[in-house]
Amino acid sequence: MSGSGRGLLLWAFLLAVSTVACGTADERRDAADAATTRFEAAVRDGDAVAMCRALAPGTRTEVELSGEATCAESVLGEELPYAGAVRTVDVFGRQARVVLQHDTVFLSQFPEGWKVVAAGCRPQHAQPYRCTVKGS
Amino acid sequence: MTAKRRRFVRDNGLTLAFGMAFLLALTGQAFAGHAEFNNELAADGLAPIGLAAYLASSEFAVDVTENWQSEYLQFFLFILGTVWLLQRGSPESKEIDEAGPESDKEQRVGQYARADSPHWARTRDWRQTVYSRSLGLLMGGLFLLSWFAQAVAGSAAYNEQRLRQLQRPMGWGEYVLGADFWSRSLQNWQSELLAVASMAIFSVYLRQRGSPESKPVGTPHGATGVES
Repeated sequence: MSGSGRGLLLWAFLLAVSTVACGTADERRDAADAATTRFEAAVRDGDAVAMCRALAPGTRTEVELSGEATCAESVLGEELPYAGAVRTVDVFGRQARVVLQHDTVFLSQFPEGWKVVAAGCRPQHAQPYRCTVKGS
Repeated sequence: MTAKRRRFVRDNGLTLAFGMAFLLALTGQAFAGHAEFNNELAADGLAPIGLAAYLASSEFAVDVTENWQSEYLQFFLFILGTVWLLQRGSPESKEIDEAGPESDKEQRVGQYARADSPHWARTRDWRQTVYSRSLGLLMGGLFLLSWFAQAVAGSAAYNEQRLRQLQRPMGWGEYVLGADFWSRSLQNWQSELLAVASMAIFSVYLRQRGSPESKPVGTPHGATGVES
């Protein structure tokens, strides 16, 4: 292959990588938004099974430990408020923060989709959010 | 291997050997960095990522570019610094009375260019000005590009880490004024500057037989600007 051919191939590769990277950023934002909306619908409807399905494995385990029962039996006792509509979504890599009207939710990407890592989160000055539900 | 290819390898051995070593080291960094990143995710109870996803991640990009920028900064400063700064006895320095950009005659440019001088060295316009500084410009440009890439990738990687720790993400401006960006930059700069200072002074008194980076073994310590 000639030098110019190799150069073209390199630029094509870089273009493909940047296109994929930019393309997936919007897709990830939409997917995190959709997962949060599903979770909040479950909270609003009091659907404990759907709420637990939306939680990350580590967070589900913490809910079970704190309630000393299954996730579905414990999660409604956490008294998560219905947070309303999504206001902003920040996605970096495979982590996301979704700010809603009355709550903030943190999510992480798993093989089966975006899962809620922490919910019922309130900001604290110069410290991590204080969250009602979160993993270990 | 044909005679032509053997000659090409011999004539470009330094670039080829270091280029291949670079690729091997980068590959090793990719595997080790991937394993370490997955260890961190596992500690936070999060899903591991595949190697391809790690290679496209801001985490890998910032780890690569923070080292690239400092290397290019080192060469940029070394190339520019040695125009004016001297070290008596060092093969990395010009002779003590040669500080500065030197005359056109010494640099063989313009009317003093020879038949085999590069074309832009023979010109007497902006092309000579640019070509006379092209090595420093390239190194300085690559430094700025890779430092900017570090700032962009570093901001994304840092925010990913902050979200894992249930902290709010930072804006890019806040990140480049913050501790993570400057810690990453300065820890690389200090090591590169130490290496240059060490090379300048150790090469006064120590020798490496056969290396053009060293004076000939029998050269006195005080001899400056002498390379094998």
